[in-house]
Amino acid sequence: MQYLVKRLGYYAVAFFGAITLNFFLPRMMPGNPVQQYMQSLYKTGGTVSAEVIAAVEKMFGFDQDVSLFTSFWRYLLGILQGDWGYSFSRYPDTVLNVIKGSIGWTIFLIGTTMIISFAINVSLGIYVAWKRGTKRDMAITLTGQVMTTIPTIIVAFALSFAFAYTDIFPRGYSVTPLLKHANNWEYIKDVAYHAFLPLMAILLTSFGGIMGMRANMINQLGEDYIVMGIAKGVPDRKIMFGYGARNAMLPVITSLAMSVGFLLGGSLLVERIFNYPGLGMVMMSAINGRDYPLMQGVLIISTILMLSANFTADILSFLIDPRLRKQGK
Amino acid sequence: MNKESFLFQAIRFLKNSPRTTFGIILILIILSMTLGANFFTVHDPLTRYDGEWHSPPSTEHILGTTRLGRDVFAQTLYGGRVSLMVGVLAGCISVGISLIIGITAGYFGGVIDGVINTVINIMLVIPSIVLLLVIASMLGGISPPTIGLIIGLTSWPGSARVLRSQAMSIRNREFVLSAEILGEKKLRIILVEILPNMLSLITSGFVGTVIHAILAMTFLEFIGFGDSLSVTWGMMLSNAQKTGALNSGIWWELLGPSLAIILFGAGMTLINFSIDEISNPKLKAQRIMSTYNKMMKKKEKQRLMESGK
Repeated sequence: MQYLVKRLGYYAVAFFGAITLNFFLPRMMPGNPVQQYMQSLYKTGGTVSAEVIAAVEKMFGFDQDVSLFTSFWRYLLGILQGDWGYSFSRYPDTVLNVIKGSIGWTIFLIGTTMIISFAINVSLGIYVAWKRGTKRDMAITLTGQVMTTIPTIIVAFALSFAFAYTDIFPRGYSVTPLLKHANNWEYIKDVAYHAFLPLMAILLTSFGGIMGMRANMINQLGEDYIVMGIAKGVPDRKIMFGYGARNAMLPVITSLAMSVGFLLGGSLLVERIFNYPGLGMVMMSAINGRDYPLMQGVLIISTILMLSANFTADILSFLIDPRLRKQGK
Repeated sequence: MNKESFLFQAIRFLKNSPRTTFGIILILIILSMTLGANFFTVHDPLTRYDGEWHSPPSTEHILGTTRLGRDVFAQTLYGGRVSLMVGVLAGCISVGISLIIGITAGYFGGVIDGVINTVINIMLVIPSIVLLLVIASMLGGISPPTIGLIIGLTSWPGSARVLRSQAMSIRNREFVLSAEILGEKKLRIILVEILPNMLSLITSGFVGTVIHAILAMTFLEFIGFGDSLSVTWGMMLSNAQKTGALNSGIWWELLGPSLAIILFGAGMTLINFSIDEISNPKLKAQRIMSTYNKMMKKKEKQRLMESGK
C-alpha cells in the first residue's frame, strides 16, 4: 500500500507542476493573449473600450494591481475548487461545463483503442518473441513498427475516403442526430457504427508496442529461471504465459499509460476529420475562437487523464507484481 | 583502423542487414529528390496553371494539380525541403536539451538529479500535442522554423529520461572512476568518457525526434497553424482538406505528401532498427545466429548434393 500512496504523492506534485506551467504559459509568450484577443475582437468589428480591456484582463487574471504570487494562488485555488473560468466563445458557459459535455466521447475512443491495442500488442509480442528470428517474426514486427510512423491524419483520410465517402460508414457525429432510439441495444449499435472509423484510424497506428513486448519477452526468456523451468520440464505454454509474459508485461503496462498522450493527439485529429463531438472538437473550436481559458482547460483535463491512466497502470502492476506488494511489509 | 577497412566493414554490415540498406536507400532517395528538386521537375511549386484546376495525373503533371492549378509533384518535392529542415531542426534542439539535462542529472546526481528528475516527470505527464497546440495558438500564425523550435522545446523529456538513466549506469563503471581518481576535469570526463558511450542512444533519439517532429508539424499545419505562404507536406494536406479534395474524389492531391511522409517514416524506422541492433548485443547475436543457421543449412544441402552425385 505504501507504494501506491507514494505514487499518489508523486502525482500530486506532477499535477501542481502542470498547473504552474499552465499559469505561466500565457505570461511567457511574446505579446500577451489579452492583446491578441483584443486584436481579433477589433478585426471582427467589436468595440474595444477601456472597460472591455479591463474585463478581459480580469478574465485572464492579468489585473495589474495584483502581485504575481497572489494571482497564482487564486488560479490554483480556482482550479482545485472546480472554477476553471468562463469560455470566451461559448459565454456564459463555464469551461468545466463545456469539457464535461465532450470528455466522455474522447475517453470512450481512447479507452477502447487502448484495450484493443494492448490485447493485440501483448499477444502478438509474445507470439513473435516465441518465434523470434523467423520470417513471420520479421514481417509482424516490421509491419507494426512501420505502421506507427504513418501519421494518423493519413490513415484517417484514407479511411474516410474509402468508407465514409462511399457511405458505408457515417461521415460524422457520434450518434445519428435527431433520432430517438427505441431501446438501449439500438443506441449501442448506433454508437458503435459511428465510432468504428475513428477507432480504426487511431488503432491502426498504435501497434508499436509489439516491438517493445517482443524485446522484453526475449530478455525474459534469456533469464536463468526460464532455463531452470525448461530443465524441470515445465510445459511451454506455462513458461510463455506464466513465467515470461507476466514479467515482460510490466514495462508494457507503464509505457501504455504514457502512450495516452499519443492517443490523445491522435483522437484530437481523428475527431476533427470525422467530426466526432469529443475533446478534440472542443479544442478546435477553442483555437478558432481564440478561447484561451477553454484551451488551458483542455490542457489541464488531458493532464488529469494522463495522471489517472498512470495511476491505473500503477494499480495494475501492483496487482501483477508481487515484489511491489511485499515492499511495504 | 584505416579508411579502407572501415569502408569494407560498412559494406559488409549493409550486406548482412538488408533492412538497413533499404532504409538508407529510401532516405537517400528522398533527400536527393527534395534537395535537388529542380532536377526532377520543371514546374514551380507556386505557379498556378490557369485552366488546369484539379486535373488528374498526366504526363505533364505527374501527380496532377491542386484546385489552384499548382503541380502536386513539384509541391511535394519542394515542400519536402521545408518539412525535412524543420524535422532536423527540432531533432537537433531536442537532442541538445535532452543531452545537457540527462547527462547533468545522471552524472552529478544528488539534489540536482532530484530537481531535474521531477521536472522531467512533470513534463512527461503533460500531453505534448495539446501543449503544442496551446503554445501555437498563443503565438498566432507561425512560420516553419518557429514550428521546429517549439516542437524541439516540447519533445525532449522522453529522451532526457533515457539518457539520464544511461549516464547514471555509466558513471559507476571503472573507467569513469579511474578518470576521476586521475584528476580529470569534469567536463572532459563527460565529453570524452561518457558521451561516446551514449552515441547509439543519442542517434536513435535523434531519429525518433525527427519522425515525431515531421508528424507533429503535419498535425499543426493541418489544424491550421501553418504559414499559408509556405509549401510543406502538412500545408498540402491542410489545403487539400480545405478545398474539399476528399468530397470531390481528388485523391491525387493527397497522394504526394502522404506517400512522402510514409516513405520517410519507414526509412527512418528501418535505420533506427539497425541502430538498436548495434547497441543491443542480444539482438545482434540473434541475427548472427540466423545467418549461421542459414549457412549451415546451405552447407548441409551442398553436402547432400555432393553425396548424391
